[in-house]
Amino acid sequence: MDAPSSSAVRFSRDAFLAGARVMVPLMPGMWLFGLAFGAASAQKGFSWLETALSSALVFAGLAQMVALEGWQAEWTVPSLLALALLTFTVNMRHLLMAASMRPWFGELPAWKSYPSLFLLADNNWAATMRYYSQGGRDAAFFVGSGSFTWVMWVLSSTAGQVIGGGLPDPKAVAIDVVVPAFFIAMLVPNWKGRREVVGWGVAALVSVAASFLVPGWWFIFIGAVSGAVAGGFSDD
Amino acid sequence: MTSLLDAPTLIAICVMAATTLFNRTAGFVVMRFIPLTPRVRRILECLPGAVIVAIVAPTAAHGDLPLALGLAAALLAAKLLRSDFFAVLAAVAVTASLRFAGL
Repeated sequence: MDAPSSSAVRFSRDAFLAGARVMVPLMPGMWLFGLAFGAASAQKGFSWLETALSSALVFAGLAQMVALEGWQAEWTVPSLLALALLTFTVNMRHLLMAASMRPWFGELPAWKSYPSLFLLADNNWAATMRYYSQGGRDAAFFVGSGSFTWVMWVLSSTAGQVIGGGLPDPKAVAIDVVVPAFFIAMLVPNWKGRREVVGWGVAALVSVAASFLVPGWWFIFIGAVSGAVAGGFSDD
Repeated sequence: MTSLLDAPTLIAICVMAATTLFNRTAGFVVMRFIPLTPRVRRILECLPGAVIVAIVAPTAAHGDLPLALGLAAALLAAKLLRSDFFAVLAAVAVTASLRFAGL
């Protein structure tokens, strides 16, 4: 399918499917979160089409959920700016996630790398980074896991809008633990030595401290940058 | 907001979409202009783990005890069984049952 190119980065169907498969353990959690967002959006007056469009175009569950809190029937320029700022700060972690993909996706032509980045979300990025750290270089892994996540997110949130309420309490069925548990599974094989102790330790301390001291969503960004710099400067 | 597609809602959705697209691409664009010296490469290599820790650690710190113990179970399952599925399953089982028990 691809013309031979000078880059070593591949793009195969097998990797696309492998990427989609890695996301399967997240399915129940993803669906319940999507249903919950859809139901909450219905309460704010979204039609099914508006919910579907929001999920398809914004494709950022946490930001969409947080934005619902202050959703309005009419928007002014200042309130739209506030919405953009809220979205930006909630999703600031994506700046770092995309930066971490430069050494790999930077070798792809722009017409492949930029459309791929539209699919950047926490779960498929984390899975892709583990794949990369284990030697995987096929870019279709990211696109496969991202496409799968996108389809599930649009379907589950639209279904939630249609169904409305009546969902189990997400805390009682421990949905809040699904994504952090998946993240831990992505992280464990990356544990190699001193650099991880320093980098992850600093990231943990700084992010937890920042989460108590700094209002809003800055704690992820501050903690991650501190940890990466500390890790990058600790030579083993 | 009774119609199928309401103009103010659509505009707000588009504002959010443009913002998330900026968030998804800006870091990638910036790194194009920063030379990938060995040091920068090392920092970038540490970045994914640091981002994940900076999401998970505050989640555990602000959550209840069943959540923290569920995450510990995930860590154990991921290390011993090397399975994403069982890591998630262990976490959900531990957290949900401890909450059910009223912890």
